Amino acid sequence: MIRLQNIEKVYRTDTVETLAINGISLDIAKGEFLSIMGPSGCGKSTLLNIMGLLDEPSRGSIKIDDQDITRFSDQQLAKFRNQKLGFIFQSYHLINDLQVLDNVELPLLYRSGSAKERRELATEALAKVGLSNRLKHFPTQLSGGQRQRVAIARAIVGNPQIILADEPTGNLDSAMGNEIMDILINLNKNDGTTIVMVTHDENMAHKTHRLVRLFDGSQVQ
Amino acid sequence: MFKHLFKLSWNKRKQNFLFLSEILVSFMVIFAVFSLLTFYYLNYTLPKGFESERVWSIAYSRNVKINDNDSLRMYYENIRRTLKAVPEIEELSFSSSNFPYSNSHSTTGFTYKGKEMSPINNYSVEDDYNKVLGIKLLEGRWFNKEDLNQKSVVINQTLKQAMFGDEPAAGKIVGADKEEDKWKVIGVVADVKAEGDFWPAGKSFYKRLDTGSFKWVGDILLKVSPKADAAFESRLNKLLARMIQNSNTEIRHMEDTRESKNSDTIIPMIICITIAGFLIINVALGLFGVLWYNINQRRGEIGLRRAIGATGSSVSFQLVSESLMLATLSIIVGSFFALQFPLLNVFNVAASVYIIALLLSIAFIYLLVILCSLYPGKQAAAIRPAIALHEE
Repeated sequence: MIRLQNIEKVYRTDTVETLAINGISLDIAKGEFLSIMGPSGCGKSTLLNIMGLLDEPSRGSIKIDDQDITRFSDQQLAKFRNQKLGFIFQSYHLINDLQVLDNVELPLLYRSGSAKERRELATEALAKVGLSNRLKHFPTQLSGGQRQRVAIARAIVGNPQIILADEPTGNLDSAMGNEIMDILINLNKNDGTTIVMVTHDENMAHKTHRLVRLFDGSQVQ
Repeated sequence: MFKHLFKLSWNKRKQNFLFLSEILVSFMVIFAVFSLLTFYYLNYTLPKGFESERVWSIAYSRNVKINDNDSLRMYYENIRRTLKAVPEIEELSFSSSNFPYSNSHSTTGFTYKGKEMSPINNYSVEDDYNKVLGIKLLEGRWFNKEDLNQKSVVINQTLKQAMFGDEPAAGKIVGADKEEDKWKVIGVVADVKAEGDFWPAGKSFYKRLDTGSFKWVGDILLKVSPKADAAFESRLNKLLARMIQNSNTEIRHMEDTRESKNSDTIIPMIICITIAGFLIINVALGLFGVLWYNINQRRGEIGLRRAIGATGSSVSFQLVSESLMLATLSIIVGSFFALQFPLLNVFNVAASVYIIALLLSIAFIYLLVILCSLYPGKQAAAIRPAIALHEE
């Protein structure tokens, strides 16, 4: 599903070069639930951003769903992200000025479809994460766990093949974290969604199919 | 997408209050300036209605000690004959002091079929006044000797339209209810823009000077030949000094007074445009700053939109669209106030002036907002999602 070959990422300033990812090659199968662990600054999020086409590698190639996206234009990348990928972030990244339902509809605004269809899909996605009774709430009126569930609904509303989750339980207590993890496991099990999750939590990581450990930009496990 | 952006802008209306206020204030200022400019421009495009070239006015003080009307008339008729004999003088007319560009005004009111008209400019003139100024006759006739001791008036086109619409005016009786205040309209002339090129003629009528008028008349209008130069003006001055003894006389060229009168409009207009221009520059910088600030506050949102499928250009388009949507909210409020001007006939200005000014103001504000949001929008498009999402 995802094939990374010899990925390198170098951040350059006028005086300093920092090697964030050092020659990582990784194959992620369709329907796999993979977790990435490692100490802060080891390149986990950078690797996830590269997989999510939010950042370009300095070297190496990426194939997702058998498509080499290295030479994609901005427009092609945007379309690819919209249709194939779903993102979940540690800090949720919800728009506080929009109601829950409008937040979930966001990815659908960038594809064709009627407002009615968007509404139905968003309502369905919110039902999947158990938030059918919070459609008209604003994010600030929700708890952290509920916000993350909204973010998950937003990630799955477009029915993506891959979900990339960057420390989705990082801001939550263990009970809330487990709830979120259960939702992700169900998505993986029931819908066959490929999930790549960055986490600091060993317990959460051990619930996934495979664990990849990074250290100083290199894969150590 | 439009509904989504509207919802987002509406929900953020408190945060956008500064932006909305700035647009509203600048819209009202622009509307005022455009109303003024439209008013002046529309008047400027109208014909002047007379010829001011080679027209000189002579103002004299009435120091002559003659009490008898006939003797006084003879005295001034003598002056007329003498002046008419001068080859450089083509036409001549005594006039009330409110001739074009003179800064003197005389107004009154008329009634027709119970309908009151006021204010109406009241010009007291002689039979040759129209020849001196080249005023175009549109209907009926100008004054002649038949009008001696008759209560005849000539009205201008604006007054005719206001009183009689498309009906012929000649022969109609106007004035007040009393019999002695009734006047017969004998002709209609073209509108004369007496207050300068940028002001409308307004409603006007002309009355014939009677034999007793020399007691108060103090101005003579001359149409001079192209040969009339400074040397002639000097000779004329001396001639006048000899004829009108114990009097101060002043010769003025109507083209000079026209320029002076126009300057009275142009200079405040330039000052007004300059002040408005500075205000607009400040508003533009303010808008630019507010938009720039908003983009920096919304880096996370922009990053998210890029992550879920927005292209750089769609992010840029979204920000410009949001600005235009906010501008629309301010314009709606501003237009509500602006529309009161034509509805309430404020300053007695034609509704078309306000409507044109309103449309120009709307176009200007949209242009200003587009210009101010293009660069911040471009900057927003350049935000790298990975960095923006990591910052929050």
